[in-house]
Amino acid sequence: MNKYFLHLKKKKELQKILALLFVLHFSFSVAIGQTQKNEISGIVSDESGPLIGATVLVKGTTQGSITDINGSYHIFTPDKNTVLVYSFIGYRPNEELVGDRTTINVMLHADIQSLDEVVVTGYGTSKRKNLTSAVAQIENKEINTTQATSIAQKLSGKVAGLNIRQNTGEPGSYNNSINIRGFGQPIFVIDGIVRNNAADFQRLSSDDIESISVLKDASAAIYGINASNGVVIVTTRQGEKGKVRFNYSNAFSMASPTGVPKMANAVEYLEMRNDANLFGGLGPYIEESELDKWRQGVAGYESTDWNDATFLNNSFRQEHNISASGGTEKATYHINLGYVDDGSILRSEDLNYNRFNLRSNLTAKLTDNFTTHLRVSGFTDTKETPTGNGLQFPGVWQGAVASLPIHSVYANDNPKYLNRVMDGYTQNPVALAQKDLTGYGLYTNQIIQTSFDLVYDAPFLEGLQFIALGAYDQSHNQSKNIQKDFNLYDYDAENDSYIPTRFSFPPRISSYSNYDYTLSFQGHIRYKKIFAEKHNLGAFLVIENRERKRTYMGLNKEYDFFASDQIDYAANNEFQTSYGNTVLERFMSFIGRLNYHYMGKYLIELTARYDGSYRYSSNQRWGLFPVVSGGWRISEESFIKDNVPWLSNLKLRASYGVSGQDAGDPFQFIPGYTLSGGGYWEFTDGIETGGVKSPAIVNDNLTWMESKTLDVGLDVGLFQHRLSLVADVYNRDRTGLLASRLVTLPNTFGGIMPQENLNSDRVRGVEFSFVYQDKIGSFNYSISGNVNYARYMTVDWEEAEYASSMDRYKRGMQDRLLGAYWMYQYTGQFQDEEDVLNSPLQGGTNHYKNLPGDFKYDDVNGNGIIDGGDIQPLTFDQDPKTYYGLTIASSWKGFDLNILFQGAANFTARYNNIYSTMFYLDANLPAYFYDRWHKADPGNLDSEWVSGEWPVSRLDKDIAPMMYSESDKWHRNASYLRLKNVEFGYTLPRLLTQKVGLKKVRLYVSAYNLYTWTDSFLKPFDPESTTHSLWGESTGFTYPILSTYTIGLNVNF
Amino acid sequence: MKIFYILFLIVFVGLSGCDDYFEIEPTNKISADALFASEEGVEAYMANLYYQAPIEDFNWHSWGLVSWGVSTFNFRENNAGSFPIIMTDEAVNSEYDNIALDPWSFFWWDDGYRFNKDINLLFDAIPGLSLDQEEKNKLYGEASFFRAYTYFELAKLYGGVPIITEVGDPNDESTLYIPRSTEKETWDFVLASLDTAIVYLGDDIAVNRRASKWVALALKSRVALHAASVAKYWSRAPLSGEAVNNELVGGMTEEDAQRYYEECISASEQLINSGLYSLYCPYPANPDEAAENYRQMFKDPALAPEEVIFIRGYTLQEHGHAFQLWAETNQTKESWPFGGRFNPIIELVDAYETYSDPGHSAPVITTADGDYYNYNGYDPSRNYLEFDNPLDIFADKDARLKASLILPMSEWKGQQIIIQGGIIKTDGSLIIEGAGQETVDGNTYYSFGAATENLHSGFLHAATHTRSGFLVRKFLSEDFHPKAIWASCTSDWIEIRYAEVLLNYMEAVAESGQGDIVEAANYLNAIRRRAGHTTDIALTLENVLRERRVELVFENKRYWDLIRRREHHTEFNNRDRHALVPVFDLRAMKYIFVRQKVTGSSTWTFPEHNYYKPIGGNTVNRLIQNPQY
Repeated sequence: MNKYFLHLKKKKELQKILALLFVLHFSFSVAIGQTQKNEISGIVSDESGPLIGATVLVKGTTQGSITDINGSYHIFTPDKNTVLVYSFIGYRPNEELVGDRTTINVMLHADIQSLDEVVVTGYGTSKRKNLTSAVAQIENKEINTTQATSIAQKLSGKVAGLNIRQNTGEPGSYNNSINIRGFGQPIFVIDGIVRNNAADFQRLSSDDIESISVLKDASAAIYGINASNGVVIVTTRQGEKGKVRFNYSNAFSMASPTGVPKMANAVEYLEMRNDANLFGGLGPYIEESELDKWRQGVAGYESTDWNDATFLNNSFRQEHNISASGGTEKATYHINLGYVDDGSILRSEDLNYNRFNLRSNLTAKLTDNFTTHLRVSGFTDTKETPTGNGLQFPGVWQGAVASLPIHSVYANDNPKYLNRVMDGYTQNPVALAQKDLTGYGLYTNQIIQTSFDLVYDAPFLEGLQFIALGAYDQSHNQSKNIQKDFNLYDYDAENDSYIPTRFSFPPRISSYSNYDYTLSFQGHIRYKKIFAEKHNLGAFLVIENRERKRTYMGLNKEYDFFASDQIDYAANNEFQTSYGNTVLERFMSFIGRLNYHYMGKYLIELTARYDGSYRYSSNQRWGLFPVVSGGWRISEESFIKDNVPWLSNLKLRASYGVSGQDAGDPFQFIPGYTLSGGGYWEFTDGIETGGVKSPAIVNDNLTWMESKTLDVGLDVGLFQHRLSLVADVYNRDRTGLLASRLVTLPNTFGGIMPQENLNSDRVRGVEFSFVYQDKIGSFNYSISGNVNYARYMTVDWEEAEYASSMDRYKRGMQDRLLGAYWMYQYTGQFQDEEDVLNSPLQGGTNHYKNLPGDFKYDDVNGNGIIDGGDIQPLTFDQDPKTYYGLTIASSWKGFDLNILFQGAANFTARYNNIYSTMFYLDANLPAYFYDRWHKADPGNLDSEWVSGEWPVSRLDKDIAPMMYSESDKWHRNASYLRLKNVEFGYTLPRLLTQKVGLKKVRLYVSAYNLYTWTDSFLKPFDPESTTHSLWGESTGFTYPILSTYTIGLNVNF
Repeated sequence: MKIFYILFLIVFVGLSGCDDYFEIEPTNKISADALFASEEGVEAYMANLYYQAPIEDFNWHSWGLVSWGVSTFNFRENNAGSFPIIMTDEAVNSEYDNIALDPWSFFWWDDGYRFNKDINLLFDAIPGLSLDQEEKNKLYGEASFFRAYTYFELAKLYGGVPIITEVGDPNDESTLYIPRSTEKETWDFVLASLDTAIVYLGDDIAVNRRASKWVALALKSRVALHAASVAKYWSRAPLSGEAVNNELVGGMTEEDAQRYYEECISASEQLINSGLYSLYCPYPANPDEAAENYRQMFKDPALAPEEVIFIRGYTLQEHGHAFQLWAETNQTKESWPFGGRFNPIIELVDAYETYSDPGHSAPVITTADGDYYNYNGYDPSRNYLEFDNPLDIFADKDARLKASLILPMSEWKGQQIIIQGGIIKTDGSLIIEGAGQETVDGNTYYSFGAATENLHSGFLHAATHTRSGFLVRKFLSEDFHPKAIWASCTSDWIEIRYAEVLLNYMEAVAESGQGDIVEAANYLNAIRRRAGHTTDIALTLENVLRERRVELVFENKRYWDLIRRREHHTEFNNRDRHALVPVFDLRAMKYIFVRQKVTGSSTWTFPEHNYYKPIGGNTVNRLIQNPQY
């Protein structure tokens, strides 16, 4: 039973071995006394192939058999009415009436709520029934029902409390927010080692993942440093004993944006622009006779659809994985090679991404007592993106949005000459999208992650085990940006010539390289023992250290003229800069745990961790972080067990613990002048002297931030586990958050205050999930859902004194529940000039700019002026407070269908740039503004008003000051529900596939981001995507989120 | 198995080693000893101090800390063209004309005291440095110069401020909560600091990029004139409240004013009488030469070492400024998307004299009735003067007008800059500031003077086109081609020049009756002669102030002139700013000009409490806030 203690035990293997042992024993004892009747044979399998050691029982008897290494069984049954019960640990049992059959092949389905399921927890494993903390686990099969490049997207909506938001659909961006329970981004542990970042986690090949488990409460604290937001633990696949098994899978996808906001066409634009000139006191922008030519679309007067000129409707993606696994009694292996190639919607095809993954996991039993695991994995990926101006995709999108429809792509429509279009301070997007013309960015990453351990099961004391583990991770990131100069042309009709204008001069090249390694060591002493069959005791002690060293350097150079995309050949030595640094970080920890179960009813666990960080002064360096958790399995008490048969599981559990967060600028305890960041001065004409910055105030007292997390949960299983429910409430208090003192020192002191541990905050939430699974005949189905609601509040907050109680009410952060958004109450549009005059003044004295059709706001304080005094906390801010997901999985014969709904609520979105400003920087404007207030006779200010949804078209200068103020006209409720994923698969009959030597063949089609229910205004923007994308502003120019359609194949042989 | 135990032991013991494991050195810090040990180290520290000094150059802008979270100084990125010239009666901004009157503009409280702490650190460090006494004295003088610069800026913005000369101890309240001094005490402190600087600094004239005795004297001339003007005129805009009662703002008397004028006169005299400085190219042959000399000096101050007293230099393209990037005309901005932002208004053009009638402002007359106050737009019943060449209307004007402004249809970078606002069609209909065209005798005439927007520079009502009829020429270089880099302009800034000292002197003389009135008149006429004038005029306050306005135009002095003389609120009291719109009359085939309000510009009022800016963080400082904040 030492196997139970194996650090990072492979779950399924364990199950199978246990089952085999148990059933061998069992079947042997019942085999005597069988009467020979009908012989039935067949194969028991699951979706991935034959099951070894599954039990076949004649219902109502103890008579049975088990399946062999090929999954086949033989059993003798008394008569036709016999019912056979097929079962296997971790799978839902299946019953079959024998009838006239002699061959019965059975497919078993994994029981997603098995209490005996082994769950990976911090530095160990536990059976689900023995868990005392909030841990969710998801298996490979459930992850793989979604087809996407990032693991995060494959997890979206599937795990309660694992809140995932896809910010963009850009290939290779891995820009998904991963947030556990509203706490923040978790840390990622892959095969027992804390790995560096979320993007590396997202790059894992899902075929390598055995399971992912999520520690959501104080149980995460065992990972100590920065684990207070929770921990995502990935267990990769190990080989299984047996002949080599190959698996090949592929996916071919076609994707298109979920929505694209429509921009005004030429006629719409010109009519609105003429309105703007009219109401700005100017002459017409275009004379009516010219405008008529646009209306008629005569030659040379055709509207340009810039989106269509720049982007395709679809992009393509393909993914391939091939793996081999197998092994002997002494050694097993799992090897996988994966490849992803992701294209973009750019018509130029110059934005693309590809990735290779490789993994080799080996296990060897060296002697009776020694086992070793060697895991090596790595990936290399490359992303290429056009535009050398650094704006990249958002810059191209901006160009496509901003460029006016009255301008053409090519000068004089001659495809040799790209038109000089620079509307809204951007350039012709068709030019920007071409790397050969404007330059490119090239990003490559190479990452290798390795770990090696030795496990020693002490022969002299049963249950005692030693583990030594070392891990080495190395990553190398390189980027190169080339900005080429290029010409755009004006057509000179008089001379029939093309006049060039040179852009992006001088050409520039910049190159960046980052080399990073992390070295970790762990030593474990573990002990596990059951005393008197009642007292179940486990304990371990781990010592761990981690060192990370990072060296980066960058070079920038300008060209006299563009020659080559290599630094050495960029010939201009006058303008070159370089930078670089090496940073070393070290951490050390001592970790201990003690757990005890009595009769499987009363569970208690104690953990403590003592962490040290290089970041702090020696007297503040170490922190002790204890955790306690307990559970009571009420359903194991005889008063339940014997009296309430439908209640198959009832467990109350609670956990409370402290963990440390290592943050703040390092070395604040060391005084010193800073060599960078100072100003500069030219003491001699033409020579610049760089300045040195004066020292910051020394801070000896900076130390760990502390998180105290409390979680109380209830696990319920009903009707033989057909329905299971999990509910949790939780609270996390953080203290010692970093802030600089404001209150206690006057600003005339003049020093930049150091970071101190001053602030505290709190996250509270509730979480609920359920699984219902059943079958109707051979139709198996399950419905599972989850919802998480969390709110953030500030508790103690360093802030300056407020001028008034109203000011404090609005801006105060002390004991404040955040998430509300302050805005004006929109009350309708001004109906006529009279209405403007009789309504409260907007923005003080600039009232004269308001026109009929402009937005009215509620004058809450009744002072006759709409100003800062009238904003109220009317809606939510831009971060979702609620996340939810619902999965319906079903299978029938060889068919399987998986449907996932996902969504988020209690948040808002707003775009500030072109999408909510008319003629922003003289750019084009969205088509929705065309439904506007205007005059019945365009050009005649004295004619009648015609009403519309939006205000009168005006240039920025003429806009009334509060037109773009926050109200629900602009700031929309972004709550959404989306049909996130549908996958339909068909597994070919085994008889058919075996003929060609294949074990299993499955074909599937799948669709991702299929349909979304949300605010109709926001829908073209996609509410899930981030609103922030350029210059830190809510521009909405990010790569759109995609609807993806995939077909694929999965072959075992 | 023994090997395993040994291995295990090594791992356990090795890992649990002591704190040695954590002895890591930071890679970005050096100690004070190491820094000040070398001359280069001292210079590097000084570079950061000069950088922080409140020099009101190209990178000084009105959007301070509050709006943008950045300093009002050294903002060299995209500052939206919020240069102080648009906060005066010099120019409007074609994109944002409403930037200006935020009371928090020019906010420099926190940064000012941060700089003050760095200066105090230098005072603390000087005695311990291993330099010879002469070098130490110079550093002491330099530190005093920085101190004066700092408190000068603070006094201009806030009136009386806390005078803090020691680095505070965060644990000792008595060193932290220093109350405001009166405004008079603050001015006196600035002047005293300058006197210290004058004593300790070297008198090397060649160093016009670093403080010297002469730079300190010139600064003193400026400071004392500012203090004197405030002392004399603060009651033009009387405020009330606790700060006033405690004389933290205002509170100075006529005697104080006289004393400060005297300080200005003596500091100016000391500098003038040294004979080390003179005007650049004082005797031009004709107005065109005068204009070119004047323009060249601002394009490259290194040409005029006799006139420039203190320079802030720029060298590296990303450490430069963005003035020309904002100012370049639409026709010459090449691929750069911005430009055309600064639109001088007709009132400024009016202020320039003509050579034929010296000693008076010469408003631009556009109609036979000569009513230049009529800004009501085109009126067909009025009799407009007609010109073959639009430049003819400015023909007799002071050379500095051509040197400082791009006038309609004048040349820049070898191109004619087309600034036209409309046409009168042959049927007599007017199209002004809108699209229109008519073909006469086979030639097509466009309302903006050209067929497409890239071929002209005015009145399109895009931010790149002037709305006033004028653009800025001063400071621009014809050799500069915009790079797609903010802060790629590297022309140097003249912080103090000799002409300003002369103007300070003559204003002090004219205001106070002290000093040498004959010499003062000579200085006035010397500056005018350098501009091509040949007739001397008398020293009157009006003549001095008009001369100051045109000579120092766009040099960021006008804002403070309006402030210190308490004229901003009378200049801007529900006031519009105006344009001169050239219109081509197709009936006569001649240009006419229409004086009208800059279309779309706001009407401004300068609130009187804006003469003193609000103090930041005063709830924590325990300081008395300025009136009406």
